[in-house]
Amino acid sequence: MNRQPESGARSSEYVPAALEVKNLTFCWDSQHPPLAFPDLSLPRGEHLFLHGPSGTGKSTFLSLLAGMLAPATGSIRLLGADIHKLDAGKRDRFRADHIGVIFQQFNLVPYLTAEANVSLPCRLSQRRKTTTGKAPTPAAQRLLTALAIPQSHWQRKVTQLSIGQQQRIAAARALIGAPEIILADEPTSALDSDNRDRFINLLLTMAEERNTSVLFVSHDRSLARHFHHQLQLEQVPA
Amino acid sequence: MKARLAISLAGASLWHRRKVLALVCLTLTLSVTLLLGIQYLRTEVKQSFTSTISDTDLIIGARSGQLNLLLYTVFHIGDATNNIRWSTFQELEQDTRIDWLIPISLGDSYKGFRVVGTSKDFGEHFRVGRGQPLNLTDGQWFDGVFDVVLGAGVARTLNHRIGDEIILSHGGGRTSFSNHKDTPFTVTGTLEATGTPVDQAVYISLQGMEAMHVGWESGVAIPGRTLTPEQAEGRDFSPSAITAVFAGLDHKILTFRVQRELNQYAGEPLSAILPGVALSELWRLMSQFERALLGITGFVVITSLIGLVAVLLTLQTQRAHEIAILRATGASPGLIASLYLIECLGLAVVACVTSLGLSAFAISMLGPWLLTNYGVQIQLRPLNIEEWALLISVPLAAVLVALAPALSAWRHSRYQGFGSPGEA
Repeated sequence: MNRQPESGARSSEYVPAALEVKNLTFCWDSQHPPLAFPDLSLPRGEHLFLHGPSGTGKSTFLSLLAGMLAPATGSIRLLGADIHKLDAGKRDRFRADHIGVIFQQFNLVPYLTAEANVSLPCRLSQRRKTTTGKAPTPAAQRLLTALAIPQSHWQRKVTQLSIGQQQRIAAARALIGAPEIILADEPTSALDSDNRDRFINLLLTMAEERNTSVLFVSHDRSLARHFHHQLQLEQVPA
Repeated sequence: MKARLAISLAGASLWHRRKVLALVCLTLTLSVTLLLGIQYLRTEVKQSFTSTISDTDLIIGARSGQLNLLLYTVFHIGDATNNIRWSTFQELEQDTRIDWLIPISLGDSYKGFRVVGTSKDFGEHFRVGRGQPLNLTDGQWFDGVFDVVLGAGVARTLNHRIGDEIILSHGGGRTSFSNHKDTPFTVTGTLEATGTPVDQAVYISLQGMEAMHVGWESGVAIPGRTLTPEQAEGRDFSPSAITAVFAGLDHKILTFRVQRELNQYAGEPLSAILPGVALSELWRLMSQFERALLGITGFVVITSLIGLVAVLLTLQTQRAHEIAILRATGASPGLIASLYLIECLGLAVVACVTSLGLSAFAISMLGPWLLTNYGVQIQLRPLNIEEWALLISVPLAAVLVALAPALSAWRHSRYQGFGSPGEA
């Protein structure tokens, strides 16, 4: 039942794909059945919608892609690099340099201001700081403005902001420093439908400006229309 | 750069959780203050202990152990085993190697305070602290037979003034049934506070001591044989015996020779002791106790550090999301662990600095009050090396105990997935 992304998978041989997954399986422990994941390949700058009902291992898949969990078998190549062949420290650095993440909720460090949350990746990654022209704060402010966070909220504690605002701040954090890949784990599930469409449009538009690939996971199939590719994630015994 | 990030994150996190952490920080502050206070008191007590007597080269009394002699002559604790003859004292006065002698005669009391019969040499030669002489705040040293000079503590406690008449009691104890009723003494002076046992005694002349004991040869007053002050006028009251002698030598180098000669004195069995040596022996006995006290305080600090770590471990569950975000953004498990170490260290440093301020404040506030009310001399001074070491050991211990939450955070965050840990 696995489907390859519908188009453009191998259009440019010399630029490594943003994301390439082969024969990936994962096993929590011997008591759980192993999970198998579809092969996929996502070119730079294109977006993939990954649909899956709960319990199909969406978050596990994203954790594997981000290099935070180790697969049982198979390979994951991000920008041509097999991230699970890197040692732990390099993997963390790779994630800091090349991947932005947006969670379902509780996306922000509660004790940092909105602005500090957005510029956080630039403090963890020299590369992303350089991409902002060594000026993370103005870059963060531009992103916050573009994502319609009022200036009066920039220095506020993030816990005082609405869920919609928090998710947009998380998007700004994922976008800052133009990482090649953004992994988004149901970021719109807590938003109403107006906010949801606005959020996805903003995210994808700004990602395209930065030539960033977005891998977006959701159980809400109606969102698929915003994306170049879509893929069904199903529980497949390995 | 990562260190700066860790420090700024830890700082922001501490500030964010300040309400919960303020309480554990307060506990730690109080226990560190206690630790500092005890250590400070230890050195101060030792200081004031060793400053109870100064410039006296030898204390001479009847044959006994050196601690006993020191205790009853200097600290007014316990009693003399025997007296020494007045003729012996007169012989000592002839010794050219001896610069000065202070005879003292003990045995009576005034409302629980020792009565010290002595000569004017006491006021002239007795020194406390670092050679600090005894000064009178008011009046003058005894001149007449029935004059008395009060120690600062006595004057303050009993609220006596110059000119008051007081009745001394026979023997020791706070309530005595046999009082020297017929021979009242007149207060002619009060001494400045010294923070030593000198404050807790009253001083009369040897003649006064003799005069009030006329008619008391059997141990109680025989009616009709005691003197009235009028009868005492003009009579000679040379003592026949005294309790002990403080001696100062011309040349310190002769101290041991004179001591040996006195210990082998043919006229009667004498003991001559070096006050410094006896004091340090006494201190060795006392220091067991104060070391135990310091040990207990150390445990109090450790207990509050463990409390701090317990709170940090409890907070760890609340921090799962935050850790997930940091990990997903590319923070290493080491950075996560270092947050705990830095936070714990930060709290310990805050507690130490606060307790330093608190101690300094308490000492400068309580110092004068303690001196006037209890005769304990405490003043603000820079910390010594031992105290710095003690203070610095607190943050070090904090880092050590913070290894527990740090290691657990490090272990968990290595397998941190998306979303909550364990349910990725």
